[in-house]
Amino acid sequence: MADRIPVVANLFAETPAGPRLTGSRCTACGSGYLPKSDVCHNPACDGAKTEDAEFGPSGTVWSLAIQDYPPPAPVKFDQPYTPYAMGFIDLDDGLRVLGRIDTDDPRSIEPGIRVEMVIGALAHDEEGNEITGWKFKPV
Amino acid sequence: MRDVAVVGLGMHAWGKFPDKSVTGMMREATEAALKDAGIGWRDIEAVSAASSRFSGGKGWGLNGNDIVEEMGSTGVPVYNLSAGCAAGANAFNVGYMMVAGGMHDMVLVVGGEKMPKGFIQTSGVEDEYDPEYLRQVCVGIPGPSFWGIMCRQRMAEHGTTEEQLAKIAVKAHKNSVHNPYARFNKEFSMEDVLGSAMVSYPLRLYEICPVSDGAAAVVICSAEKAKQLTTKPVWVAGSSVATNSFNDGITRGLAGPIPPGGKTFHSEAASAVRQAMEGAGVTQKEVDFIELQDNTVYYELCFPEEWGFWEPGQAEHELESGNTTPTGSLPINPSGGFLSFGEATTAQGIFQICELATQLRGAGGGRQVPEAKVGLGQTLGLGGNAAAVVLKR
Repeated sequence: MADRIPVVANLFAETPAGPRLTGSRCTACGSGYLPKSDVCHNPACDGAKTEDAEFGPSGTVWSLAIQDYPPPAPVKFDQPYTPYAMGFIDLDDGLRVLGRIDTDDPRSIEPGIRVEMVIGALAHDEEGNEITGWKFKPV
Repeated sequence: MRDVAVVGLGMHAWGKFPDKSVTGMMREATEAALKDAGIGWRDIEAVSAASSRFSGGKGWGLNGNDIVEEMGSTGVPVYNLSAGCAAGANAFNVGYMMVAGGMHDMVLVVGGEKMPKGFIQTSGVEDEYDPEYLRQVCVGIPGPSFWGIMCRQRMAEHGTTEEQLAKIAVKAHKNSVHNPYARFNKEFSMEDVLGSAMVSYPLRLYEICPVSDGAAAVVICSAEKAKQLTTKPVWVAGSSVATNSFNDGITRGLAGPIPPGGKTFHSEAASAVRQAMEGAGVTQKEVDFIELQDNTVYYELCFPEEWGFWEPGQAEHELESGNTTPTGSLPINPSGGFLSFGEATTAQGIFQICELATQLRGAGGGRQVPEAKVGLGQTLGLGGNAAAVVLKR
């Protein structure tokens, strides 16, 4: 039976509360990191520690574009190629994150709309396994 | 700090040159720059070179060593600079500091690149610790889509139209007709641009720059040497390099902070430009023209605003009024820009120096900015790199 394989391990998870991005947060200034960082990169912060943190699922599309032509490697996609939308999403918990927008009609998406994180297929491998990543679905 | 002059300019044409090596192209540019300066190779005391990522340099970005071997191994010190697409201008800054600091009197700054076909890819190494690899494999955001995201935000905020985006490309190509070094030196109509393929909505093929092969070189020297060589030197009034700030609103990896107030973008470019202008002691009103990094038409709208030349949202009006043409109140990219040249990535910063100095010499022909006395150049590169220069006559 076909499996679901994360495109990269340890960046996102299906938690009891729903899909979340799994990163870290500075215990002093609150800056968020994805992937996890052991140290805070904010030059204005003297904090020495970060702790594991989950981000999402709700946010707002800051802006987006549509990948109208098939992208170069290492981007994975199924044949025949279908244009996808991707953008910067401002999560309610204070992180701006890059992600695909989960829609069949990319042209209909406007900056400023509300979205919610889902885990979905980016592509399939030769054995039919689903390569999964995080996406944002309009709500 | 000593005064520094630009006394020699050398350009190879931009285009596709499958039968030439990048070193050979850099040699042609170097020979032209030496001839223009009226000096010989043995007069060069040091070389500052942009490290090509895609060609030559023995695979280690040692393009400065390649050009020294090609011209004749005189034993001069060589500095190879890597800064993404800002490498050429970074190399210029290092050359400038060597002359200004009194280390050397006569320095060659050179850059060249032969680009592989198609859109620029990541390094090809599948390294899950590399933020650029993660951006591509987890989401898929090639350069044009990144530009598209930025442009779409402006459209939402300021009501920029697709026609206005196309007008910038039309203007660029109108200038390029007068530039023999440009790859596409012919006019494009609004129909040509709006009819070109949608690459990443809202950006079309003719609204982004392609990749090209190209090479450029400049000779810079002390004021004392310049006076022996020419009665009309062009002066380096300001030269700077900067990197981005932590709270910049452009997400560089997978995620980043939401900037307070939401409006800090391209902080490395704004910082480099501010420092170069402060170093030169010039205000926005005193800058006669700008050569900026137009990988896409969007940059011609946002950059002058972010650098204090215009108020936020004013760019479209300036464009529509014709103020950015060579005879307008703030000419932008009289060379034809990256849109007409294509990007030979690490050579771009030096091509800008050549154009600024050509304009200041009054040798711009059909694209000449009338009475040009002060010119500003700016490049931006992966990794949060930026460089800026102010030249004066």
